Amino acid sequence: MINEKKYYLDIFRVDEISLDALIAEGLRSGGSYCDLFFENTTYGSLLLRDGAVTSGGSHVDFGVGVRVLAGEKTGYAYSESTSLAEMTACAKAASQIASSPSEVSPYGTRNPSRGEPNPKADRYPVETNWRDVPMTSFLPFLQGLETRVKEKDTRVQKVMANLAFQVSDILMYNSHRELKWDTRPMGTVSVSVVFIQDGKIENKAVSRSFRCGAEFLSQSLAEEMASEVTSGIDARFEAKRPEGGQMSVVMGAGASGILLHEAMGHAFEADFNRKGTSIFADKMGKQICQKGINILDDGTLKGNRGSLNFDDEGIPGQKTYMVEDGILTSYLHDRISAAHYGVRPTGNGRRESFRYAPLPRMRATYMESGNAKAQDLISEVKKGIYVDEFSNGQVQIGEGDFTFYVKSGFLIENGRLTMPVKDINIIGNGPAALADIRGVADDLAIAPGAWTCGKEQSVPVSCGIPTVLISSLTVGGSANE
Amino acid sequence: MNKEIALARHCLEFALSEGAEKVRITLTRSLMDLVGVLNGEVDKVAHALDRSMQIQLFVDGKFGTFSSNCLEQEGLEAFIREAIGTVRMLEEDRLRDLPAPSRLAKDAKTGLELGLYDETISEFTPERRRAIALESMTWPRKTQLEKGFVLISEEGEYSDSVFDSYTIDSQGLEARHTETSFEIGYETTIQDSEGNHLSSYWWDAAPFFKDLKWQDCAVTALRRAAAQIGPGSVPSGKYNLIVDSECASKLVTPLLNALGGYALQQNNSFLADSLGKKVFSEKLTITDRPRTTGQTGSRLFDSEGVATKEMDIISQGVVKTYFLNTYMAAKMEMAPTVEDATRICVSPYGGCISQEDVLSKVGDGILVTGFNGGNSNSATGNFSYGIEGFVVKDGKIGTPVREMLITGNFIDLWNKLTLAADDARSCMSKQIPTLAFRDIDFAS
Repeated sequence: MINEKKYYLDIFRVDEISLDALIAEGLRSGGSYCDLFFENTTYGSLLLRDGAVTSGGSHVDFGVGVRVLAGEKTGYAYSESTSLAEMTACAKAASQIASSPSEVSPYGTRNPSRGEPNPKADRYPVETNWRDVPMTSFLPFLQGLETRVKEKDTRVQKVMANLAFQVSDILMYNSHRELKWDTRPMGTVSVSVVFIQDGKIENKAVSRSFRCGAEFLSQSLAEEMASEVTSGIDARFEAKRPEGGQMSVVMGAGASGILLHEAMGHAFEADFNRKGTSIFADKMGKQICQKGINILDDGTLKGNRGSLNFDDEGIPGQKTYMVEDGILTSYLHDRISAAHYGVRPTGNGRRESFRYAPLPRMRATYMESGNAKAQDLISEVKKGIYVDEFSNGQVQIGEGDFTFYVKSGFLIENGRLTMPVKDINIIGNGPAALADIRGVADDLAIAPGAWTCGKEQSVPVSCGIPTVLISSLTVGGSANE
Repeated sequence: MNKEIALARHCLEFALSEGAEKVRITLTRSLMDLVGVLNGEVDKVAHALDRSMQIQLFVDGKFGTFSSNCLEQEGLEAFIREAIGTVRMLEEDRLRDLPAPSRLAKDAKTGLELGLYDETISEFTPERRRAIALESMTWPRKTQLEKGFVLISEEGEYSDSVFDSYTIDSQGLEARHTETSFEIGYETTIQDSEGNHLSSYWWDAAPFFKDLKWQDCAVTALRRAAAQIGPGSVPSGKYNLIVDSECASKLVTPLLNALGGYALQQNNSFLADSLGKKVFSEKLTITDRPRTTGQTGSRLFDSEGVATKEMDIISQGVVKTYFLNTYMAAKMEMAPTVEDATRICVSPYGGCISQEDVLSKVGDGILVTGFNGGNSNSATGNFSYGIEGFVVKDGKIGTPVREMLITGNFIDLWNKLTLAADDARSCMSKQIPTLAFRDIDFAS
């Protein structure tokens, strides 16, 4: 969704002469690099609760961030106004970093991307711009979604459905005189349902989120979400806590990509490695999992929540193999870490908004398909669990310990799915879990939900994985059941 | 702020003139300066000024919430006009209303009433901030401190900020809250003699700089990381659980969420129909003390402008209140309270003051000093969390443990409460002391 350059210059009320003047101001104290990040985001939301869309709103966030680098050090300031006076004050504040004595070699990465944004290469083309449609036109979608959910299961007691959309105009300029621009859409629908059966209550939530326009809100989407949110409810009421301890875990295709995000992806983000904190800091070029396994972070999937035409440093969105044939081949870089390691940036410099300096962040992280069949992987397990629905995860970068919370799954006993399980946390260690992957199926799926990564700042991401078998993870549960 | 306040008043009148029946406007403004250090050097400086106006509109029995950080009168007028049009397209909901005037705060006129503003913040210069950040590091002394480990990374941040909020509504509410905050935090990674990386953190915050324990922060983070050297393993089973005050809020927050109107009204709370009932151990008492002068987290009014008050939340195991804003109370046909707890306090129980007292009384168990992920089910109260901490034997802290999980149900957990110390950290808005529970499921 890329417009002409003038569109962006007009929105932010700047011209290329003033951009150069701001860069000069930022570098006045001796900084080695300076960039500007302009953002104009409009948000809209509608909430259906108790059968009616009675809540809605819109929000505007507008401003510019100025970053000055002195070697690997960062000065940052932002303004919610693009008046030259306020932006100049920001540039001055950010330039203070250069007065800090530094023994680090000067910043050197140049020319990672030249040329203007190409609308033909747009990764999120839009048929219907959210900004061009009155919000009232979205009410029937939410009402229809609720109707379909209620039609599918008589145990439905409460339905909450939420539509959130945003469109962000972005303009970036830096001291290499690179000017980039982009418009990033995002549409997200979530539905949360409370079920009641024999006096017991259960809940389930489902979401869909893509970089797309309002054409996203189709009848087929409502049908798909209603089916998913009402599936597996019998098992949820029957589910019990398993006996806790170490066991084999089969992770179903799709949302189990959270394993890659938490156990490996964060540890591959180059800032943690540059600082020496990551458990993978000394593993580059080494075999870290079985041959044949490929793990990548991809900003090029059309319409994906994590995709980018350009990252937030103006580097083109791209596909980055982190693990090839089991060998760690690349970290995820922003400009700072790329300069540190003497490599090209990988397009992972991302930020929550103009209020934040960019950091190396994931986009869509997934593992390529292997050769096994999912059912064969389950059949190999004598005692373990199968998991396929998650709510959140976390990692401790230094130790590599990661966790993710399982909303639902099944016990595996003698190669068969048996008792449903729910609400258990799983914990493991990143390098150990990677090395313990014993089989990869041929059924890669990218999770379509509204995944958000919260490393210091919130950014939209996505994940995916084929069905995999991990020989040993620690599963939460009762001590005596 | 005076210019923004005048603009807020103008916007309120403008919205009414454009057809809104009732209006509430909240203006926020914050100014923050930060200095980050990494491995002995200044690594980051940041300066941030944020302003935002939230406008809540009640139009023709319908309701919408809007906000903008573009605080120019002409643009805001167009924004409000469009917002009113949007609200008119929504479905009617006559239960939406402003709070009754008698419930509104009337004692928050200047924003300074709670004594949370440190006037010395105006004296802070970039040079002073750098000095604080640099002087608080342990990195320059690393060779003296490294005993059985190597310091791999030390990353810290010092920041100070002023936060100002101002709320008005069309029935005369005018409430302001101003506070300063000084914060410091460190994250330290070490490598033990076997090449394992171990990391930990520590932080402190205070409304007044004189109360900020900035000199101790990096040392404490380093000490906590070093304490994890030589982890042992503990078999899965039931153990006494002791939770450090630093992380104990993880077990309290889900109770407060379950008492909130949004969860209760949607039947998505494991504490539905619990009001007035004894649900937890009589050893558990939680109060809200939002009007404590000079303390982190205190507020005179909630987001609707309703006056906060000292109150029992759970008293000796009995649920004493829900948190119902005007809308949720109307939907549930109950009396409104405040929107949420502001500065909750878990009362001491069992005669323990410090964590050492608790450990001594408990004898054997596992001391949890940090949580690693996990979650809970809001409808059932089931939870499962990753933990790290130490084995406790005969009241003494022993071998570190990690990669363990605790699993259970919150109602059951809080009925197994045995002790609550009196050592809550003053820097936290939730005043939760070291807690002890019996017979909790651990998996390893």
